[in-house]
Amino acid sequence: MNKKLLFVLSLLIMASMMLSACGGAAQQPAAQTEAPAATEASEVQEPASEPFTLTVWYWGEQEAPGMQDFMEAAVQTYMDENPHITVNAVLQESDSLYPAFRAAAEAKEGPDIQFFWGGVFTLEDAWLGNLAPISDYWSAEELENIPAGQRAETFWDGKQWGVPFYQIGTFWAYNKTMFAQAGLDPENPPQTWDEWLNACDSLRAAGITPIGTGFKDGWLGGWMVSYIGQQNFNSIDDLMAAVRGEKSLTEPMYAEWWARWKDLVDRKCFNDDIMSLDLYQGQALFEQEQAAMTNHVQPYIAVLERKMGKDVVGIMRTPVYGTGKYNNAIGIPVQTLAITSFSPHKEEAAEFLRFLHREDIMKLMYEKAGAVTPDSRFKPEWFNTNSDTAINKWTSEYPLFWYQYYYPPIWESEGAIALGQLLVAGELTPEEAATRWQEIADKNRRENPQQLDNYTKWVLPPEMFGE
Amino acid sequence: MHRSFQSKLTAYLYLSPALILITLVFVYPVFDLIRRSLSRVVDGETIWTGLVAYQNALRDPIFWTSFSNNLRLFISIPILVLLSLVFSSLIFERVHGWRIYRSLVFIPYVLAIPVVGIVFSYILQANGVFNQILRATGLDSLTREWLGSSATAIWSIMFVVIWKELGFGIVLFLARMSSISEELYDAAKLDGAGWWQQMAYVTIPQMTTVIEFYIIVNMITMLSWVFSYVLVMTKGGPGNSTWVLEYFIYQKAFPYSQMQIASAAAVLLLSFALLLMFLQARLRPKAEGLEG
Repeated sequence: MNKKLLFVLSLLIMASMMLSACGGAAQQPAAQTEAPAATEASEVQEPASEPFTLTVWYWGEQEAPGMQDFMEAAVQTYMDENPHITVNAVLQESDSLYPAFRAAAEAKEGPDIQFFWGGVFTLEDAWLGNLAPISDYWSAEELENIPAGQRAETFWDGKQWGVPFYQIGTFWAYNKTMFAQAGLDPENPPQTWDEWLNACDSLRAAGITPIGTGFKDGWLGGWMVSYIGQQNFNSIDDLMAAVRGEKSLTEPMYAEWWARWKDLVDRKCFNDDIMSLDLYQGQALFEQEQAAMTNHVQPYIAVLERKMGKDVVGIMRTPVYGTGKYNNAIGIPVQTLAITSFSPHKEEAAEFLRFLHREDIMKLMYEKAGAVTPDSRFKPEWFNTNSDTAINKWTSEYPLFWYQYYYPPIWESEGAIALGQLLVAGELTPEEAATRWQEIADKNRRENPQQLDNYTKWVLPPEMFGE
Repeated sequence: MHRSFQSKLTAYLYLSPALILITLVFVYPVFDLIRRSLSRVVDGETIWTGLVAYQNALRDPIFWTSFSNNLRLFISIPILVLLSLVFSSLIFERVHGWRIYRSLVFIPYVLAIPVVGIVFSYILQANGVFNQILRATGLDSLTREWLGSSATAIWSIMFVVIWKELGFGIVLFLARMSSISEELYDAAKLDGAGWWQQMAYVTIPQMTTVIEFYIIVNMITMLSWVFSYVLVMTKGGPGNSTWVLEYFIYQKAFPYSQMQIASAAAVLLLSFALLLMFLQARLRPKAEGLEG
């Protein structure tokens, strides 16, 4: 009997221990706020001198090969200079970048610094209360080193929420040799829409696939709307007006780009298996010299130029069809790094971000990954490719605007991606696409009143765009 | 009476660690899910919103696209049962090399879904192996953009699911067949029953419980275990044509940051699964009556 009682008591003790061990998980804070929380960053933190670890979750190897090498080298340099700090930099995968962070943010445990695709893809987490504004740690003078047009992408409610990690000028690489084979001028790529369509015809006639790209994974949708969706806009607020519901996406200003995209499909500008290939697989056709053009980001175009030769690889802007002030706008958006609101080392995180904008470190990133840090202290004489030099020249000649970084994410996932796939597959007309895009926008406003409020606070000072 | 109470108490005390674990891992999350679906946090305050999230989920056309895709995937269940019966019967006949076949058919089941998804993504490309075989055999007219067309994408995913899940059914049925009494087959042979009649009147009735179990497992799979196939192979495309409920919940929760709607959809999925289980439980006494 006593043995039995002892055994039962033992079970009770085990159960109590389990309860107390799990009790912390059951007492997690409630769901994170969906409105901008009072930032914890306003509390001044004394820099720590005790050893600690700074965790950085980053991305970028996929579009700027060598980024991982850069981070390893930069982190080692930082740790050598700051022996009491261990920096744990973890490269993330594309598909898990946001889910992993959102799960970490839910648990209030995770990185001190998080990588985001820029614009609204950064600000959404600011709206969720997951970020601390960098403007609480960097001075206005420091922030002014970053070009205004790129700072604007994460400037919201009077604060700066993200720091550019690197810029991803997004253009078209073209093969000069293939252009010459098709009877096209290799030094003068198409500038107008008709020229582009005619170039597709010439390349097809020469047995060359004009554009190599992939749309199975959907990423191309956001690129296409950003290449050609803004060409009838006169200001950023034209887009914001549509987000707020003041304008309809079925109006020609917003809808024409679907028809222009259809032009490219109908004229067989894309590779025949575009719907079978993921974006990176399709882009690889250019590198394999199976396509004459591809869409790509600045760091990778530089890689292509180095690999295939300056005489072979050229860079071109998206040809123009539109009539708005932004018809020749170029996209040089930035990928950002931001300090998390739950980081216990915000001051140190801000210092690490400051380190990444140091002259020698910016030069190291360019050398290792071909990626350019958007910072006035980045020296143009470091450029070692024609494409980088050309992009740098264009930044002073054309307006900067990247559509994808300003609209609600659902406009892309259910709009530019889903509707774009149906358009390319021939299952939807441009008019139907525009109508359904408007329905998606209406649905989003109905389901996300809080997001709509946040967009009304996304006021960009006109001087940021030279207006 | 005292001893009866004491013995019951002892029993519950022995069960308590497992009950606590189940409560924490299953029961608490479900209640939390329901709570999240009925409220929103704004500026640190939890606001009761009632059924708004459910209304938004049910009004979303993509929710119904997702639900209908899960129902489409249910079509694979009779196919899986039929193929499992056929293949397990053939292996049960102890054809030459039957042990090797038994191992080979189970290999797809143990492979990781992402691996299977990636491999079939390549096989089913427009210029992939499958279409190349079709072209090489003069069947060009049958080539398709298997994962790139909204008409074929969900069925292509279903094919891959069947390919992967079939092995489990074969091995399961084979195990049950091995335990059926030989006397039943001897008696059937004495009565002049051929192979098909033995299958119809001896084998299948004796396997009713196992078949029912396999059906339930596959219903759960098609409802809540196909997310990885969709994410790896199509990401819900083309044109949202391969969204399933799990993918809907994932998209709402993470890319869209609409946790409330995601929670509501998850509750609806759970409710549907419980309804299916209830219906299955009601039918079970009838099924058990058939098995000797």
